[in-house]
Amino acid sequence: MAQLHRPGSLDEAVELLSGLDNAMVYGGGTAIQILIKQGILFADHFVDLATVPGLREVTADDRGVTVGPMVSIRRMETAAPPLAADAYRHVANPRVRNTASVGGNLAHGDYRLDPPTALLVLDAVVLATSAGGTREIPVREFFTDFQETALEPGELVSGVRIPNQDASAGYHFEKNSSLGENDWPCASAAVLLDDRTVHIGLGAVAPVPVYVTADIAGLDDQGAVDAAIAAVEPVLDPIPDVRGGAEYKRRLARVTVEDAVRRAWKDRDHG
Amino acid sequence: MTTQITVKVNGVEHFLDVEDDALLLDVLREKVGTTSVREGCGVGACGACTVLSGGMSVSSCLALAVRYDGAELTTAEGLDETDDVVSSFVDCDAAQCGYCIPGFVLMSRELLAENARPSECQITEHLEGNICRCGTYPEIRKAVAAAAERRSPR
Ligand SMILES: Cc1cc2nc3c(=O)[nH]c(=O)nc-3n(C[C@H](O)[C@H](O)[C@H](O)COP(=O)(O)OP(=O)(O)OC[C@H]3O[C@@H](n4cnc5c(N)ncnc54)[C@H](O)[C@@H]3O)c2cc1C
Ligand code: FES
Ligand code: FES
Repeated sequence: MAQLHRPGSLDEAVELLSGLDNAMVYGGGTAIQILIKQGILFADHFVDLATVPGLREVTADDRGVTVGPMVSIRRMETAAPPLAADAYRHVANPRVRNTASVGGNLAHGDYRLDPPTALLVLDAVVLATSAGGTREIPVREFFTDFQETALEPGELVSGVRIPNQDASAGYHFEKNSSLGENDWPCASAAVLLDDRTVHIGLGAVAPVPVYVTADIAGLDDQGAVDAAIAAVEPVLDPIPDVRGGAEYKRRLARVTVEDAVRRAWKDRDHG
Repeated sequence: MTTQITVKVNGVEHFLDVEDDALLLDVLREKVGTTSVREGCGVGACGACTVLSGGMSVSSCLALAVRYDGAELTTAEGLDETDDVVSSFVDCDAAQCGYCIPGFVLMSRELLAENARPSECQITEHLEGNICRCGTYPEIRKAVAAAAERRSPR
């Protein structure tokens, strides 16, 4: 078992992270514990963020909301802008959401996670802190490859800034699972739609969560659906697994996008 | 490494030496003796290992025990039939084998503390991460609604 370190400040946490060999941040631990049980986690040190003060703060201003990495997913159901709140609400179950953290959910980097789809659409910014300081990474540049993120060794997620959502735009988060109602998504889509553009965040249907837009100026609802599906087509690259083959997932992705766009359209026009 | 932690379980303080990698589930079962906290899936998906920490539900199968130093925990052992949720589960015949019931009872207590009059849909949503192998879901849902009624009659 890895050795557990319990730093008392963020400075101490990033020192430990860069100074120790093969160290890993311990956030909520909900993903880490499963990887340990599966025998596929090989860290020598855990740097526990639970003892670091100030990482559970939520600060709202007129531009948006900034949340600490240890804020629970459950809290985001009420603290985040509506599209993101809906995506956070769809993670796992209320008990896991009580423990799982915003930072861990991003850093985990899994292509199926629900919240990144909405964060991509809303153009959120990840704050990454190391012993050298803090930099900002647009979430649209954060997911770099299969289970890889833009975090450098020695960096941790110290916050996420989510801009306010355009109140006149329509939005919808749609998630489809194939093994059971409460399973991981097989295809998910977060959609925000104004008069000219539809913004789409896609989960589970490519090796990374992806963001695409389509021009819908002057189109009717069917036109917007067609434009959205044409825009996602080139980025669909599903990984076949127990939840379905590539062709099945491709089809489910189209259905998910269509449902999300139609609902966002209705939401925009009828509130 | 071993760390000494203090946890209050159902109002009683316990001073425990725990390994850094010990799970709360194992510590509660083996050191505290609260065996109503059970292992089912081991991965956060079934709710058999649910405990309340400061009123908030936790899957103890994914929780490091050292993190609960100073916590006030509730397990089913801390409740008896004077509790509205427990008595409603009994009256509605919600238990068959009973393996899952402590988890459902604790999740229901969390729900009712947050929302005194949950709708049928809100009950289902809050219990979505709990599995009953015997399939007594209709009785469980009825029991939660009955408990809400008992606590705050209309
Ligand atoms: C039963 C179950 C069902 C689930 N279903 C869904 C689902 O439907 N949809 C969905 O989206 N997700 C689902 N999940 C996954 C869940 O979202 C993740 O487990 C959770 O978000 C991970 O957060 P954590 O804080 O527990 O991370 P941890 O387990 O603590 O860490 C995960 C990874 O992130 C790293 N990390 C943690 N915090 C930071 C930080 N601040 N900076 C840098 N690195 C960090 C860790 O080193 C590790 O690599 C499910 C999980 C479970 C247990
Ligand atoms: S054993 Fe913990 S949730 Fe199933
Ligand atoms: S009563 Fe048997 S598992 Fe629920």
